[in-house]
Amino acid sequence: MLNVSNLNVFYGESHVLHDVSVSVGQGEVVVMLGPNGHGKSTLLKSICGLVDNAKGVITYKGKEINGIATENIVNLGLIYIAENRELFPHMTVLENLKLGAYSKNARDHEKENLAWVFDLFPRLVERQKQFASTMSGGEARMLAVARGLMSNADFLCIDEPSLGLQPSLRHEIFSTIRQINEQGKTVLLVEQNIPQIAELADRVYVMEEGRISFEGDKDEALSNEHLREIFLGM
Amino acid sequence: MFSEDTILLLYEITDVLIAGLSTGSVYALMAVGMTLVYGVTKAFNFAYGDFFNMGGYFAWILMFGIGFQFGGYVTVLIVVMPLMFLVGYALEKLMVAPLRKRADWENKVMMLTLGLALFLTSLYTVVFGVRMKSLPPILEGTLEVGQLVFSYQDILIFVMSIGGIMVFGWMLNNTRIGMAVKAVAQNPIGAKIVGIPKERIFASTFAISTVMVGFGGILLSQKWFINPMSGGTIMVKAWVVTAFGGMGSIRGGLYAAFIIGLLEAFVGWLFGMSYSIIALFILLLATLVIRPQGLMGKGD
Repeated sequence: MLNVSNLNVFYGESHVLHDVSVSVGQGEVVVMLGPNGHGKSTLLKSICGLVDNAKGVITYKGKEINGIATENIVNLGLIYIAENRELFPHMTVLENLKLGAYSKNARDHEKENLAWVFDLFPRLVERQKQFASTMSGGEARMLAVARGLMSNADFLCIDEPSLGLQPSLRHEIFSTIRQINEQGKTVLLVEQNIPQIAELADRVYVMEEGRISFEGDKDEALSNEHLREIFLGM
Repeated sequence: MFSEDTILLLYEITDVLIAGLSTGSVYALMAVGMTLVYGVTKAFNFAYGDFFNMGGYFAWILMFGIGFQFGGYVTVLIVVMPLMFLVGYALEKLMVAPLRKRADWENKVMMLTLGLALFLTSLYTVVFGVRMKSLPPILEGTLEVGQLVFSYQDILIFVMSIGGIMVFGWMLNNTRIGMAVKAVAQNPIGAKIVGIPKERIFASTFAISTVMVGFGGILLSQKWFINPMSGGTIMVKAWVVTAFGGMGSIRGGLYAAFIIGLLEAFVGWLFGMSYSIIALFILLLATLVIRPQGLMGKGD
């Protein structure tokens, strides 16, 4: 469904991604692990057209998408859900959600998608008239995911959904992502922690210093000694 | 009972008050347009005042240059408002948008629009000459309430500017494009992520602000005449209103506009019109010293 091959990204002088190649099949949940600041977010942003000067080939459903404007990528059904959420602070939860359905591809499905995300995140129903800036960390995270779903995307690039959340909320957000996947959405997710990932991932990539250092299915990842060492300290 | 002199004075004060409110309402309209562009693009448009005369000149061309007076101001608005939108949109696309890809583009936009302002002033001088042009009052006659006399023109200018602001406010909160404008102003990255075409929103915002100041130009040219230089004065006033109200705060801009409209009217009445601009600068300096973030600005 999504193919990234030989992607190179430079921020000024520094070479952030080195010949990165990743592929995600329809219906999969693929998790990209790796330490902070090693290029995982940059990869997701490059896929969604949020990075200038990404060199390489990115195809989505057979179409080359590298270099086209973000709004056109969103329109094709790919959405980025940011680790720092990037909500509209002085708008209500409902307005944030409606803006999530801004793209042409989403407009006609606004009502059904709204019903769907309210079903997935019942807490947002109670909060719908509240300003986004007044939400707690966990609620804001839910809103960011929900706003992404409003785009009617088939493919979700989710950047560290558990960042800054307490363990019970982490578990909640991961099980919701699993639920979203079971309803037909393909997910490429960036994380730093293995334990939660084990319950979610179909396949795992590891990125270190801007290079893919491991690729395999969940069981291979969990039994790989190098990975256990760097992520679990075992 | 009041003496006859006191009553006359009260009438006169009421007159000045009405004049101040009608001018203030147009300032409010223009300040909202200016704040809008700054809030969304974070760049300052120094040619803003020259779009004020442009509105006035377009109206003049239609009514006297071509001599098409059928429908009066209704026709003028139907023709000139879309024209202002097109001019604003095209200028943004051709001149401002290409700069946005460069480093430090906000400053480059300021320099560029400053150049545009000089160019437009000269263009108006060449085309229309330095002599003032005037537009007929939108509505003649007066409304008499007891012994108070209000000119219809002042009332209508007030109603139309406030109406313009309300239409704008409604659009901002109830239309897809209005919501997108707010989204870009509140979080440009978030807006990009959800697929809002930022470039088109920037150009539309610029064009809408051009319409607002052009509308203000048509309204005020009836009271003040149009000349090639009036853009500079309007720019100064719009800037003082914006700075006094607080950069980026639409509500602050509204209060500031009325305060400044009234200040001008009363200073003009008490000391003469040439003192009103001095009063504005004193107000601006006082604002910068006492409350640099403006009435309702957020500060740093």
